[in-house]
Amino acid sequence: MLRPFELHRPETLTDAATLMAQYGSDAAPYAGGTELLLLMKAGIARLPHLVDVKRLPGTATIEMRDGALTIGAAATHRAVERSPLVRARFPLVAGVAAHVANVRVRNVGTVGGNLAFADPHSDLATLFLTFDARLELVSSAGTRELPLDQFVLGPYETARQPEELLASVRLTPWPARTSGCYVKFGVHERPSLGIAVALTLGAEERVIAARLCVGCVSPRPHRIREAELLLTGQPLAAIEAVADEAGALAGRAVDPISDLHGSAEYKRHLVSVFTRRALDVAVARAHGREPQRGYAHAVVV
Amino acid sequence: MPSSFDVRFRVNGGTVSLTVPPEALLLDVLRDRLGLKGAKRSCDMQVCGACTVLVDGDAVSACTYLAVEVDGREVTTVEGLEQAEQLSPLQQAFVDRGSVQCGFCTAGMLMTASALLAEDRTPTREQVLHELRGNLCRCTGYQKIVEAILGCANGDSRPVPHDHAPRVEFHVVGRSVPRRDAVEKVTGRARYVSDLTHPGMAHARLLRSPYAHARIVRIDTSRARQLAGVHAVLTGADLQAVCDPYHGPAFRDRPMLAIDVARYEGEPVVAVAAEDDAIADRALELIEIEWEELPAVTTLAEALEPGAALVHERTPLAGHFADLSSLRPEPGTNVCHRFDYARGRVDDALAAADVVVEDTFAFPRVQHVSMEPHAALAAWDDEGGVTVWASTQNPFSVRVELAKMFGVPLGRIRIVVPLVGGGFGGKTYAKLEPIVVALARVARRPVRLIASVDDAFRTVRRCDARTTVRLGFAGDGTLRAVDCRGDFDVGAYADIGPRIIQKGTYTATGPYRVPHVRLASRAVYTNTTPGGAFRGFGVPELAWAVESLVDEAARRLDRDPVELRRQNLLNHGEEFAPGDTPIDGKFEESLSRAAEGIRWTQATAADRARGVAMMLKASIAPSVSEAIVRLHADASVTVLASTVELGQGARTVMAQIAAEVLAVPLDYVTVLTPDTSVTPYDQTTSSSRSTTLVGRAVQEAAADVVAQLIRIASIRLGVRSGVRRARSRSLRHGGRRAHRSRCRRAGADGGAARRQHAILGNGSRRGRDQSRRRDRRDHRRRLCLRRGRRTLHQSDPVRGAGRRRRHAGTRAYATRRDGLQRGATPERHARRLPRAARGRRPGASRVPVRRER
Repeated sequence: MLRPFELHRPETLTDAATLMAQYGSDAAPYAGGTELLLLMKAGIARLPHLVDVKRLPGTATIEMRDGALTIGAAATHRAVERSPLVRARFPLVAGVAAHVANVRVRNVGTVGGNLAFADPHSDLATLFLTFDARLELVSSAGTRELPLDQFVLGPYETARQPEELLASVRLTPWPARTSGCYVKFGVHERPSLGIAVALTLGAEERVIAARLCVGCVSPRPHRIREAELLLTGQPLAAIEAVADEAGALAGRAVDPISDLHGSAEYKRHLVSVFTRRALDVAVARAHGREPQRGYAHAVVV
Repeated sequence: MPSSFDVRFRVNGGTVSLTVPPEALLLDVLRDRLGLKGAKRSCDMQVCGACTVLVDGDAVSACTYLAVEVDGREVTTVEGLEQAEQLSPLQQAFVDRGSVQCGFCTAGMLMTASALLAEDRTPTREQVLHELRGNLCRCTGYQKIVEAILGCANGDSRPVPHDHAPRVEFHVVGRSVPRRDAVEKVTGRARYVSDLTHPGMAHARLLRSPYAHARIVRIDTSRARQLAGVHAVLTGADLQAVCDPYHGPAFRDRPMLAIDVARYEGEPVVAVAAEDDAIADRALELIEIEWEELPAVTTLAEALEPGAALVHERTPLAGHFADLSSLRPEPGTNVCHRFDYARGRVDDALAAADVVVEDTFAFPRVQHVSMEPHAALAAWDDEGGVTVWASTQNPFSVRVELAKMFGVPLGRIRIVVPLVGGGFGGKTYAKLEPIVVALARVARRPVRLIASVDDAFRTVRRCDARTTVRLGFAGDGTLRAVDCRGDFDVGAYADIGPRIIQKGTYTATGPYRVPHVRLASRAVYTNTTPGGAFRGFGVPELAWAVESLVDEAARRLDRDPVELRRQNLLNHGEEFAPGDTPIDGKFEESLSRAAEGIRWTQATAADRARGVAMMLKASIAPSVSEAIVRLHADASVTVLASTVELGQGARTVMAQIAAEVLAVPLDYVTVLTPDTSVTPYDQTTSSSRSTTLVGRAVQEAAADVVAQLIRIASIRLGVRSGVRRARSRSLRHGGRRAHRSRCRRAGADGGAARRQHAILGNGSRRGRDQSRRRDRRDHRRRLCLRRGRRTLHQSDPVRGAGRRRRHAGTRAYATRRDGLQRGATPERHARRLPRAARGRRPGASRVPVRRER
């Protein structure tokens, strides 16, 4: 049961920004509603105004712009999953989109909503960190761009000002000879752990760049620089040997709390184990092999 | 004021124009304004999928989807799947493959699968599993659902073959037949309490305590009462004028609304009935409560500490459950009941044991999470009677509670139970029904309360437990002693907790021969949601402790865990405990088959987990089931029985049994929905008892009809055959079909049809309690029984003694086949009564009619 509210349906992004400026924190942008309506039903959010942003022209487009994949904030997970462009150029993104929540959420929920809600138990933000994602924010004062890392500040907390709207997210393609994966684990509706790995190979089959991002177990998803440093410069053949150490570093670097998903100690253990497993997958793919082995309660994309 | 939107959209092929406010959810519009009740509200948070509908072909959660979004679009609900009044191939596959149980998830499953099949005609199993990930089935029927979807995709809707052949001596029983309710469930026509409405009905909402333990200093409901559209506002203080507010099967300790003190977070404090849910919600927000927080005990450890805050200051009165007359609360503590049992010399045996294993185990709180949360609708009539449509597993217990609380005779209380979307123990005994009945009385109109899953977590849950177990083994692996101490957290109100600890504890030794036993359990109040029945009824809490230790002992003894268990199993026919009767179970075979099933002997090092455990679950006894079978003049049949259809298929089973005995086609048989004013007494739908007990009652009632038919036929045909012999032959001997049909024709022509009435047959099953055992040992008494001199049971207010007498002979000989029922009255064993029942053992597993010959 929802409390009454006013639903605004502006025609343009500018009008939407004007409405947001007018109502400030009394309003929220509304797209799929998969998170927002839940909060409102539970009485956690009491918003007299919703500004429908999914009908605005251009906010649901998925295209390559200036060499980056630009996903409109109102594009649904399903649209990302089915986009021929994403499937061809960013298969990992399409694959992860196919595993967000459940089919009904994917049909309605949007990429922008997912990022702007900043639930720590989310897949996209963790994955997008490996693509150096940048977000475009629009307000009546103009447009600004922020790296994802600076956008997500903590659980349910972002750098978006009340009058701002998230317009799109831009993903930079991985360099050539990069292989990676996204692994998530959990028995709940939302993931208990998400790990994204990308290894870029250079001359002599050496890793010249490593990205390791961990989500769900810290207040916000983040890269594990210590582990990335350890992996960078290693020959591909040596990754397996240092995977445990990388896992241990990752386990120490995260900042988990004890909750329904498990104790802090358990989560650190999970991070260590799944970091190693994610590296195994990335290495296998670097060798052109698709690992056959699955892990219980885990999804490997 | 917020605006409204005019929306025009297509639903299942037809066009609809509506004006809706922005906050209207699609699910409410479909269900309440368009009457499309197939989509169900369950989790209400997009997790379970019960409300799945298609918008332009894509599955969405209608519970979290604004109705304004469907403007100009095409909505498909489960009601739209039929084509030209024919089931769609997918629906037919669900029916044929037995993919339907309680039915509450079925519409959502079908819609998700429809969307998938529309996109991909031939999905792989992985795709089906992936797509269904967001659709939950609590009856755990996923396998058959997936098979149906794949079968439909392959154009193959044949039922999945069973690995057992039907037993040849039966024609209907023992065969897999489509569920009686499958079609209504796959079409969305099945109705649950939350789908029912009544003219002038008000909608109820509850305000719950935000504190685990707090005194209510002041409640101000004046603003809520003044709100337009509010019909009733009830607080604990108001209740005294309406009824006796306390209920509970073991203790009458639970007020339907908190009185003076709230004892757990989420306890209902104020109930509101209003024109619609939105007004009721607004009324709740206008209620002001001043609280004084009290010290709370929320865990077993806290509650058992010396000087712990007391959840209940006074010892509550005993409830209606008769065999709990021996309640043993410990005044001044939070212990509301204890159960002790001992035999042999445990301490000596443990001291002498070669291997002693000991550990402490914690069993967590769990909620049942039925797909259909609790719901009830109550309407008082002008004669002072009340009808309650309730999602309950035992309408007769609810009736008893309401009669006591509201001072209404049993005969004036009518509990009707439509289809129930899963129970798992969580819907045993009165839960929300008293509140709804009280609201309906005060509001002077029908009132419906539909709980959410959130509410369910604040209504009942499984008792968590902490158990310490010691097992002593001799060096050769013989189990010598079991010493078990358990504390069960029954929450703020005992519900059936005391009985749970008795039943769970008494069978803690499992199916093993143990000479020295000491069992001690306590039911402990805490400031948490009341703990009640849950699948297994207290047994798993101790069984996993004992069985874990048996594994540990096997390691210590260097024995194979399966073989160690086998060595200690009770033999078939061996008494469970001295003075108790044997259990009709094939333990050795069960163990072997389970071990084979997991390829026990081929365990490999790569195995993550492989194990075998055994436990005994007692069936509820003594317990009573009655049935009436009506044979109509055209050979159609109505079965009146009060077993609740929870998804287990009880209605289908009852129809099969009646059809078998009466030799009529299955579709001649109608099984009525439980209605306490129409269908006869049944103690409860739980404890795996329906098929054995209600089924036997139906069998007897049908046999009674056959006997009457034969009598009519023999007079009509001028055959002087003894009724008893004919009945026996008709039931048991070859050539019976011809014989029966002849009888039926003769009976129908000469008896029922000419006189234009149906033949009524009665059946009754009741477990044996101590007094009945003594009866059996008493030969003279038995002879009396055979001759029909038997008193009526209190639970049978309707039927005349004359009709019952016909059955007395059968009943006196009949024995139940449900195994462990005799372990169910453990307190008498605790008192170590003499070996009272031994005389009965030889007949334990026999079929009564056979015995009679």
